[in-house]
Amino acid sequence: MLNPGDQAPDFTGRDSTGKTVKLSDFKGKTLVLWFYPKADTPG
Amino acid sequence: MSFDTPAENKAFAEKFSFNFPLICDTDRKIGTAYGANVDPQKGAQRVGVVIDKQGKIKEWHARVDARAWPAEVIGRL
Repeated sequence: MLNPGDQAPDFTGRDSTGKTVKLSDFKGKTLVLWFYPKADTPG
Repeated sequence: MSFDTPAENKAFAEKFSFNFPLICDTDRKIGTAYGANVDPQKGAQRVGVVIDKQGKIKEWHARVDARAWPAEVIGRL
């Protein structure tokens, strides 16, 4: 788990359209991230 | 963000016309770094994270409601 004040782990990934998304793209902005177990599943 | 492929997430994004990107962490590296790869046999745990403007963790939650939590967070930011 991560704690408030920790440096957010850097990441680079691809979105569903193939575009690269990096943590640094959001520099100076607040970012909300959430994980889900499987596309299009309730919960 | 999930461990799904781009094709799986593309179908999901198009079905619901989401206005945010769905990131495909197929090798689980991001999920592991963020504490969401709890069981490697399963999909990601529903971890929710808020990162502040300085790139530091503001909130980390082990389980969030994917329908309610993002809107709730954005509403109070």
